[in-house]
Amino acid sequence: MAPGEKIKAKIKKNLPVTGPQAPNIKELMQWYCLNTNTHGCRRIVVSRGRLRRLLWILFTLTAVALIFWQCALLISSFYTVSVSIKVHFQKLDFPAVTICNINPYKYSAVRHLLADLEQETRAALKTLYGFSEITSRKRREAQSWSSVRKGTDPKFLNLAPLMAFEKGDTGKARDFFTGRKRKVNARIIHKASDVMHIHNSKEVVGFQLCSNDTSDCAVYTFSSGVNAIQEWYKLHYMNIMAQVSQEKKINMSYSADELLVTCFFDGVSCDARNFTLFHHPMYGNCYTFNNRQNETILSTSMGGSEFGLQVILYINEEEYNPFLVSSTGAKVIIHRQDEYPFVEDVGTEIETAMATSIGMHLTESFKLSDPYSQCTEDWSDVQITNIYNATYSLQICLHSCFQAKMVENCGCAQYSQPLPRGADYCNYQQHPNWMYCYYQLHQAFVREELGCQSVCKEACSFKEWTLTTSLAQWPSEVSEKWLLSILTWDQSQQIKKKLNKTDLAKLLIFYKDLNQRSIMENPANSIEQLLSNIGGQLGLWMSCSVVCVIEIIEVFFIDSLSIIARHQWHKAKGWWARRRAPACPEAPRAPQGRDNPSLDIDDDLPTFTSALSLPPAPGSQVPGTPPPRYNTLRLERAFSSQLTDTQTTFPH
Amino acid sequence: MKGDKPEEPGPGPEPSGPPPPTEEEEALLEFHRSYRELFEFFCNNTTIHGAIRLVCSQHNRMKTVFWAVLWLCTFGMMYWQFGQLFGEYFSYPVSLNINLNSDKLVFPAVSICTLNPYRYKEIQEELEELDRITEQTLFDLYKYNSSKTLVAHARSRRDLREPLPHPLQRLPVPAPPHAARGVRRAGSSMRDNNPQVNRKDWKIGFQLCNQNKSDCFYQTYSSGVDAVREWYRFHYINILSRRRQDTSPSLEEDVLGKFIFTCRFNQDSCNEANYSHFHHPMYGNCYTFNDKNSSNLWMSSMPGVNNGLSLTLRTEQNDFIPLLSTVTGARVMVHERDEPAFMDDAGFNLRPGVETSISMSKEAVDRLGGDYGDCTKNGSEVPVENLYNTKYTQQVCIHSCFQESMIKECGCAYIFYPRPDGVEFCDYRKHNSWGYCYYKLQDAFSSDRLGCFTKCRKPCSVTIYKLSASYSQWPSATSQDWVFQMLSRQNNYTIKNKRDGVAKLNIFFKELNYKSNSESPSVTMVTLLSNLGSQWSLWFGSSVLSVVEMAELIIDLLVITFLMLLRRFRSRYWSPGRGGKGTQEVASTPAASLPSSFCPHPAFFSSSPPDPAISPALSAPPPAYATLGPHPAPSGLAEASTSAHAPGEP
Repeated sequence: MAPGEKIKAKIKKNLPVTGPQAPNIKELMQWYCLNTNTHGCRRIVVSRGRLRRLLWILFTLTAVALIFWQCALLISSFYTVSVSIKVHFQKLDFPAVTICNINPYKYSAVRHLLADLEQETRAALKTLYGFSEITSRKRREAQSWSSVRKGTDPKFLNLAPLMAFEKGDTGKARDFFTGRKRKVNARIIHKASDVMHIHNSKEVVGFQLCSNDTSDCAVYTFSSGVNAIQEWYKLHYMNIMAQVSQEKKINMSYSADELLVTCFFDGVSCDARNFTLFHHPMYGNCYTFNNRQNETILSTSMGGSEFGLQVILYINEEEYNPFLVSSTGAKVIIHRQDEYPFVEDVGTEIETAMATSIGMHLTESFKLSDPYSQCTEDWSDVQITNIYNATYSLQICLHSCFQAKMVENCGCAQYSQPLPRGADYCNYQQHPNWMYCYYQLHQAFVREELGCQSVCKEACSFKEWTLTTSLAQWPSEVSEKWLLSILTWDQSQQIKKKLNKTDLAKLLIFYKDLNQRSIMENPANSIEQLLSNIGGQLGLWMSCSVVCVIEIIEVFFIDSLSIIARHQWHKAKGWWARRRAPACPEAPRAPQGRDNPSLDIDDDLPTFTSALSLPPAPGSQVPGTPPPRYNTLRLERAFSSQLTDTQTTFPH
Repeated sequence: MKGDKPEEPGPGPEPSGPPPPTEEEEALLEFHRSYRELFEFFCNNTTIHGAIRLVCSQHNRMKTVFWAVLWLCTFGMMYWQFGQLFGEYFSYPVSLNINLNSDKLVFPAVSICTLNPYRYKEIQEELEELDRITEQTLFDLYKYNSSKTLVAHARSRRDLREPLPHPLQRLPVPAPPHAARGVRRAGSSMRDNNPQVNRKDWKIGFQLCNQNKSDCFYQTYSSGVDAVREWYRFHYINILSRRRQDTSPSLEEDVLGKFIFTCRFNQDSCNEANYSHFHHPMYGNCYTFNDKNSSNLWMSSMPGVNNGLSLTLRTEQNDFIPLLSTVTGARVMVHERDEPAFMDDAGFNLRPGVETSISMSKEAVDRLGGDYGDCTKNGSEVPVENLYNTKYTQQVCIHSCFQESMIKECGCAYIFYPRPDGVEFCDYRKHNSWGYCYYKLQDAFSSDRLGCFTKCRKPCSVTIYKLSASYSQWPSATSQDWVFQMLSRQNNYTIKNKRDGVAKLNIFFKELNYKSNSESPSVTMVTLLSNLGSQWSLWFGSSVLSVVEMAELIIDLLVITFLMLLRRFRSRYWSPGRGGKGTQEVASTPAASLPSSFCPHPAFFSSSPPDPAISPALSAPPPAYATLGPHPAPSGLAEASTSAHAPGEP
């Protein structure tokens, strides 16, 4: 045994083991640790003492783990944004201002279309609340309607019967029109039964909507009859108006000359020609200032109310639809020129006989898109067709989405939103159960079951005008007389009556100052910063660099894999050769094949066990060594050639 | 991967390959025998760049000086930079982030109050005397008589009852005419004997004295309206506190229909589960919609009027307390769901006969607490007890703080703030000087002598709802007939003065975008470490592991010193008696350090680097390791190791 060991040691000493050619992984590692620039590794090999070595291994591993952890933190926080706020002082573009009368159509003009509906509404009011007209004029008209009424069948109440429900008893309901009790087999959608007993009246008002086959009905109840009647009226109103052509509707609504009594912008007089018509289904004719095509956008040179838009609006309260709208005034929306004015949703209301001053402050916001946030620049990455002729905004997307679902599920489009291509507005002649469908769909939308909220993303940039509203009595007691008479004289062409101060509203829109605030998101990290931070981490813990990383890849992946592969290859070869030549006379010469990696492993095991159990080792090993050498000639030859090779390169 | 691999060379040498003998020879810890060896080992194997050249350069003085200067320079540079970096980090800078989120929004809580604490008829009994005296005072001071019969009636009874304390008086303005301020205090030395010429020289006020009447002052007002109101309010508080303590909430009109005619949210009608009720001593019955107790959360998935709260309110004032409630309408406040409604602080009045549309936009502010800023996460570390059972806000804290000092100073609780258990509300029948005390305290509070503003820290996250209102006439002339008719029929109640009797309110989100301002540390630990690392690499090229090397060196030095001292100590004292053991130890160390099997290892190490120049240098120091076990029994371990060698080396 002793001579064998000696030879082994000698060969080891003389054999220059270089990295890739290292005979086994252990030596490769040792070679790597001694030569690398990465701190810690060398100490593992160099230091003496098992505890010390273990400690160094732990230190190195900790350092590596820390590097990984810190770098992971750095990379994960790469897509963060920093925000910069800039305030510019510049000449600001005036936004588009859309002004609507709250009442959509002149009641005198649409009355012939709504006569039946009105008559039935009044009838329902009378049955329920015993309400009758007070003014003589109205009574006269009511009489004339009631005479008309006798001949016709109440189609509206049949379609969606208005009912009063007994307290707590939803099964029995009183039909408004017939007054007789009838059984209702339907779900109460709104569980307002808790409310009922606290009201003095024992009844809750609602209406019933049924699907086509009447088997599935839903009853909508309201805590107040006012809401019920208004909602019921609105449904039928939309039905009727859906069948009227756009031109006709525009003619029935207010003209620009009628609505705008005076106009003043930036110290210069303006008139109806500066406004463009925008027809809104629920608000009739609206007029947009500063939105004319092919014209430059107006801008204000100064802040303050003198340099903004000043208009006096004519709001004829007498022409108001009594059931559709219950408040008096106008609505103003301030928006971008290419934005759709959502009159219904947002909008500042203007009171009559008041001067409303609206001070604006402009804020622009820009968001960073994709990796940073889920916003979108335009319609390209939203799977919804735009039914508005306007740029992208979240609200447009939601409305478009709802309208698309409406067309898909109910077969027709909802009246208050624009018409998608190839669809038409719902009316009960063609779509008898659209109301039921609409209500169901709206409930689903509110509960986010339609998926619109997840499809629509926010817009990446938007302009926002922060508004400050203040009110003042207008016209004043002393100026009222001359002001009203002059305005009456002015408007004698359009308005054939003496103006009253409650018919007028004054509106001032202006920039409070010409500061424009822009909020911009910028990437907080750049690639260079990330690299330098990672470099810092590598340097801090281990003094490592990219070259070290390459080195590690080389040693740990390429070299060790090649060694293992070689190992396996030799093993397989050896195994194959052994099978071929089971008995070999030259077996005793085997110890010289030390360097063969396949043998190394085989050799290690007995030595290791011997090292563990020392006393029996010498005895058992001496007889044991010669027999288990199973070497072939081929392997030996390979070794000897290698030996000569290395010896020539390193004459040691 | 990289982390796993280096493990292999570590445990590797022990079980496999040539070291089987080493594994036995190698002790748990081995120490160098001398300083020279230690330093040589260190110099050969250290990774600190400059140090190698400085300490380990061959004795070339020129070079050593050169390297010493360089080393000092870079060392200074590095620590200067380190100082800067640490200074930056420990100043805890924050950077502001503004996020524009668009999300489905949780509707905030909305509180609405009637602006009238009690119905006049129901509280008239208690207020009768006060009203009588008020009218009398008004008559005396301003020659105003509201209802002659009442005054006459009162006059006849005037002497029957004792007058109220703190009567309202007309006071002359003192000589220095800095009297433009509304509320001011005058000394008790003030007398009414000055001849007056102008009514401008007069002020209206009432006297407040302390317990033993030794110190008095006048609470004065420039306007009689303010004075009367404030005076009335002062007495009203006393009456109320008497009432509060002995009555059940019988007077509270808790009928929704009486105040709120219609209610809708998101096109649905509301029900009882959506609101809760509380009574405010000044603003009357208040209803909070969508507070934290409400059954289902209100969410707004779309902006706009249709997706908000819409209410029709009764605003008739025929049973208002005439001298207390001078405002008609309703008061509304928008607040977070788990915050109390401070109607005083952030209310919004509604005009009757008008539809008020309040559009909200939400803004969230998140501050970094802890070292980064002075704010509190949940108020637990603020030294003020939260008297409201709600989330911490600064208002809650300030009110609680004021109440706390009120109780401490005056011995009773102010009625507008909640009272802790076992404390009574203030009433001058029981605490006859509380008015004096209260106004003193109020003065101290507003000039922050109570320390409430310093004690109460900002909460770290705040949600702000920015409101903007617009108005339109409601109901319109054409629709008012049926609307009024229906409302009156429905509630069995006739609305008398039409438009003034009702108000409509819409509260909705203007936009779904909400801005959140948050803070983030601008220097995090990660960036600090990266910066330190880059500085370190730049100037020194060493790493944390180099520091560990240094630490190891120092520990080694200490241990070796200790061992040497120990050995010397032993050899001196035990040389005669236990010489045997001593000699054995001395002998064993060289034996252990020079085993024949040790020779190959340095040779093996040195042969492996391809550079032949290093190999002699490495092999030159003989592997002189003193194998020493743990300190308690170094000799025993040495013995063990020697005995272990014996069979290995036959």
